[in-house]
Amino acid sequence: MELLQSTAEALRLLMAGDAELWGIIFVSVKVCFLALVIATPPAVLLGFFLASRIFPGRRVLIVAVQTLLALPTVVIGLILYMLLSRQGPFGSMHLLFTQQAMVIGEAILAFPILAALTLSAVQAVDPRVAETARTLGAKPWRTSLTMLLEVRFAVMAAMVSGFGRVISEIGCAMMVGGNIAGVTRNITTAIALETSKGEFVEGIALGIVLVIIALTINFGLALLQGRGGSR
Amino acid sequence: MSLMLVRGLRKSFGERLLFDVAELALQSGSSYLLTGGNGSGKTTMLRILAGLETAQIGSVSFEGVTIPAGEICTQLSPRVVYLHQHPYLFSSSVAANVAYGLKAAGMAHAKREALVREAMTWAGVNHLAHIAPHKLSGGEKQRVALARARILNPKMLLLDEPTANLDEEARRQVAGLIRQMCDNNHCVVIATHDPELMTLKDAVQLRLENAALR
Repeated sequence: MELLQSTAEALRLLMAGDAELWGIIFVSVKVCFLALVIATPPAVLLGFFLASRIFPGRRVLIVAVQTLLALPTVVIGLILYMLLSRQGPFGSMHLLFTQQAMVIGEAILAFPILAALTLSAVQAVDPRVAETARTLGAKPWRTSLTMLLEVRFAVMAAMVSGFGRVISEIGCAMMVGGNIAGVTRNITTAIALETSKGEFVEGIALGIVLVIIALTINFGLALLQGRGGSR
Repeated sequence: MSLMLVRGLRKSFGERLLFDVAELALQSGSSYLLTGGNGSGKTTMLRILAGLETAQIGSVSFEGVTIPAGEICTQLSPRVVYLHQHPYLFSSSVAANVAYGLKAAGMAHAKREALVREAMTWAGVNHLAHIAPHKLSGGEKQRVALARARILNPKMLLLDEPTANLDEEARRQVAGLIRQMCDNNHCVVIATHDPELMTLKDAVQLRLENAALR
């Protein structure tokens, strides 16, 4: 009964446009979006490079990227905390407990997903793509661009997956963001805080938003995968 | 002077020798029908001539100029264009596919537009200009691929079983386009078993048999 009442209250809060609640949602979306913007170009380039070039150490790099996929978010948070804290090498930049620190952390988290999924997409690309481009006179850079364009839906799906990972994680955001109200408090850190206080209404409201975002992301992912596979 | 002259062409997969050809001379304006049983190496030979596959090559020259064996594709495309048995059309539009080679050559949009329209009209695919390639039939894909190659005015076209797996009508249409290309002073090498193509006028028959070209 309490759960139903709390959920009804949470929905009312959301509909009423509660400024604090929507502020938290905005921080989450903004940080994740910026993290993706920063991580996508180098990650896609790395994924493409690893998939399409043979060079010494390639296997090691691929294993490293795949290992990073499994790295717990708190470990990344911990390493970043140590780097950004006053005693750390980047302490003078005063980034700890700022949105910038959260963006860096989430970008690091998104990077291996983007790189690994681009890598698999390019590895799976039909060999006729590069051959057709080459026989029609394309230079190596255009051939590479053509291959990337052919897997664009898979790369977009990788971005969606990356967004899903960073928006739903809590460890890194909590450690380097510090969960400061109105500054670095995002959906997941707010849910953890409200729950620990025994105040479920805001937590449920944010949980609903997170679930809606997750559903939207998966719906988008399914659409993109459908488009990519329709050839 | 031969358009392409290849000497000492040998391809093997491990212990298995696929073919060993002392000399292959392909002339400008001539068409060649490359036949042979399954696994005789027809596709491999075309791919080697296009520079898409490596082989032991004594020497190769094109229009009298010696080409390093490892640089056939980089130096000769798009003067030499290879078409897969099942052509790959990039996932843009039919018009963008036909324009691909011209764009790669750096031709301005305004200049290539008329050429693209002309090539699509030639192949009878003008009405498909803005269709996504995955919606095309096998015959339509083959015609788009032929238009995409023809627009580059290649000296040599290498066609791998261009009419295989097509229905009667599509085969007739594709064969008609190939005939026109053969009549148009292109050097066309076709790996095929199709009776429709076997009757190509003045075509030179090349048969891969027992690892040799006859």
